Amino acid sequence: MQFGYTPEQEALRREVLAFIAEHVTPEVMQEKSAQDDFQRGPEAGDPFGPHMRELYRKIGERGWLGIAYPREYGGQGGDRISQYIVEEEFQRVGLNIGLSGSGAPAIMAAGTEEQKRYFIPKLISREFSFALGFTEPHAGADLASIRCRAVRDGDDYVINGQKIYTTSGHISTHIYLIARTDPSLPKREGLSIFLFPMDTPGITVRPLWSIQNNPRAPHGTTYGEARTNETFFDNVRVPKTALLGGENKGWKVAAAGLNLDRVGAFRYVMSIRRDEDIVNWIKETKLDGYADNPAVRDKVAELWIEAQVCRLMTMRSMSIVQRGRDFTYEGAAEKVWAPEHGVRTTEAITQMLGPYGQLLRGSPHAVEDGVFAHNVLGAFQSGVNHGGVQIMRDQVARRGLGMPAPRRKAASK
Amino acid sequence: MDVLLTDEQEMVRASARDFLEGECSPQLVRAMEVDPLGYPPELWRKAAELGWQGISLPEAYGGSGLPLVYLGLILQEVGRAVAPLPLHSTCVAALTVAEAGTKAQCEAVLPGVVAGEKILTWAFTDEDPRFQPEAVTMSAVGEGGEYVLSGRKMFVDNFVSADHCLVACRTAPARGSSAGLSLFLVDTKSDGISQTPLVTTAKDKQSEVVFDRVRVPAANLIGRVNEGWPIIERMLDRATALLCAQLLGATRKDAELAIEYAKMREAFDQPIGAFQSIQHMCADMIIWIDGGELLTYEALWRMDEGLPHRVEVSQAKAFCNEKCLASARNAQIIHGGIGFMMELDLHLWYRRVAAWTMRLGTTYEHRARVAEGLIDHPGRVVLGQPVPVAEASEEPQRDRYVA
Repeated sequence: MQFGYTPEQEALRREVLAFIAEHVTPEVMQEKSAQDDFQRGPEAGDPFGPHMRELYRKIGERGWLGIAYPREYGGQGGDRISQYIVEEEFQRVGLNIGLSGSGAPAIMAAGTEEQKRYFIPKLISREFSFALGFTEPHAGADLASIRCRAVRDGDDYVINGQKIYTTSGHISTHIYLIARTDPSLPKREGLSIFLFPMDTPGITVRPLWSIQNNPRAPHGTTYGEARTNETFFDNVRVPKTALLGGENKGWKVAAAGLNLDRVGAFRYVMSIRRDEDIVNWIKETKLDGYADNPAVRDKVAELWIEAQVCRLMTMRSMSIVQRGRDFTYEGAAEKVWAPEHGVRTTEAITQMLGPYGQLLRGSPHAVEDGVFAHNVLGAFQSGVNHGGVQIMRDQVARRGLGMPAPRRKAASK
Repeated sequence: MDVLLTDEQEMVRASARDFLEGECSPQLVRAMEVDPLGYPPELWRKAAELGWQGISLPEAYGGSGLPLVYLGLILQEVGRAVAPLPLHSTCVAALTVAEAGTKAQCEAVLPGVVAGEKILTWAFTDEDPRFQPEAVTMSAVGEGGEYVLSGRKMFVDNFVSADHCLVACRTAPARGSSAGLSLFLVDTKSDGISQTPLVTTAKDKQSEVVFDRVRVPAANLIGRVNEGWPIIERMLDRATALLCAQLLGATRKDAELAIEYAKMREAFDQPIGAFQSIQHMCADMIIWIDGGELLTYEALWRMDEGLPHRVEVSQAKAFCNEKCLASARNAQIIHGGIGFMMELDLHLWYRRVAAWTMRLGTTYEHRARVAEGLIDHPGRVVLGQPVPVAEASEEPQRDRYVA
């Protein structure tokens, strides 16, 4: 049991902070904001502008990309905790340089040698990015009920169906798609995962507009910065080598990948960044009179303690990954606690800002470009996406505590 | 950074659990609730053979000198078994003697503790239950090589069985940085001491102790006169973090009893544990207990490393107070009517969890300490970094959000 970092890891964090102070300039962040243009399509190609490309080159030079990935796949062969430290500090300034949510953990776990060599280095360097093609209009929490079909045809599969909430699908190079390959099998057993380029003929991406983006959410909004989409697949032909983890093995591959995607710096920082904000504003007297308000002090302390639990649960997950163990329920537990905490903080802040908390981006007197108003319109999404908190509680109870699955009606399959 | 237990720590925990599963039945726990001493001397002796009392005491006095985290693991198992052992109060007082006592004081007390021959306790609260120096009014007055103690202490653990008690007394009015408190090692059989047992939800042994001109040799002063507060504060912090460990052990077992019951109890032709309404209660209970454990072990680990730990201790206790009671309440609710009945053992855990959440600092007190650490020092806070230390020269920024 060791709650501290090694001197080398502490030094790494200082080095990263110094790097960020020097190289993550306002120009870089302005360029990032501009590049977030919702209207861009896959035809725009390189998602980076010159400043961001240069920044990534420098980060790569330091050996900070894919630290815990093996060298043969473009990583550094280092430890998971060091990778976490680097990811956390970049995430704190709004740059997700990590690979959670990227598909990389699932490819490492289930991919062929060829797939690892093809995808991992380019995911690390950000040349490739995956959109997640899981949810369908009628199948969200009950993922195994998806209808999107992949039919074997010679050496190919032909895919037909619709996916929804394919976030960033319009600027992703590839998609990580789950489709039904055998409808005769029980619903979890006939699924497969496919990895293929978004410019494959037959794919149509259409934007979906969330309540958080009217007007466009400012930088730093929880879940508001990315555009989400619906994506249609019309006789999309992909080679059988697009299959990840074997035909009809999709459920297990998806579950393992999702578990690894749910933990790490991105989720952690997303959940706790506003805790620091409220404390620091109170200290900087941006919120007048609150430093001495006993109700506010009690609330702030309560939230801070909850945030520490977020941090420690993240550390627990990192410790498990670092030891090479699998989660039983710990990732799911973190995915319940952290998002719900983030929401509690978001809502508490609105009560501290009072009427100023309503003001959206562009409004006169908007606080920090309206980020808190936009947050309250979407922070709860963190309890919905990527495995909602109710599903996560099911997992804690059933996998972690061995509680029985609910009885199903005989008629349903 | 690896917040999981080491193999050695797992082993210590597992062997403590095995031992108590064999030695401490609910029948024994029930019997000790009505026993005048409240603990089985045989079990206390066996605990000493396993080295529990001395696990974190210095090797020079027969202890094992292991980090507090190990004592936390033992107390967590004691809590799990709701074992009627005066281990918490004994270790809290003994660790303070070991840390701040003279060689003679250590020699007088610690080998006996390690051997299971001595039981210790400590007394802070007079009437005002806040853990603030000003709450102590009981006086100690120097009188020719002795101190004369007069006053009353409340909620003193295991006083009925204790040989020595560390007593916090006022020896001077608070002045400047000095709280004016001193800590004394008092023989519980001294003339002038009388005690009245309190009847608590835990049915444990707590007493109201009256000191009527109790004469204590000056050699029994722990540390220096009027400078006892820092020693007392460390004692209270350790006591608090260790109580969290014990509380979490009890709460986890209590939750497990409810989970097992839910798997077995049938309603609407299926186990109630198959209903998501019950599953989600149980999931939350485990998430809360895990969170409390992580906070508690971080606090203990920081003590072991000699790092500041005040905020971390309060984080753990504030969280455990609310979440452990909520978890134990859920366990009651999952059991339905039977959970309310004396005949079921569940209340052995519930009553103790409830009692321990009320001791050593309320949620509000501990959150106030956290808020003080966060807000009342200049400098920005960053989660995961120590709370900044005051630097008077820093001018706060003044761009206001709310006019």
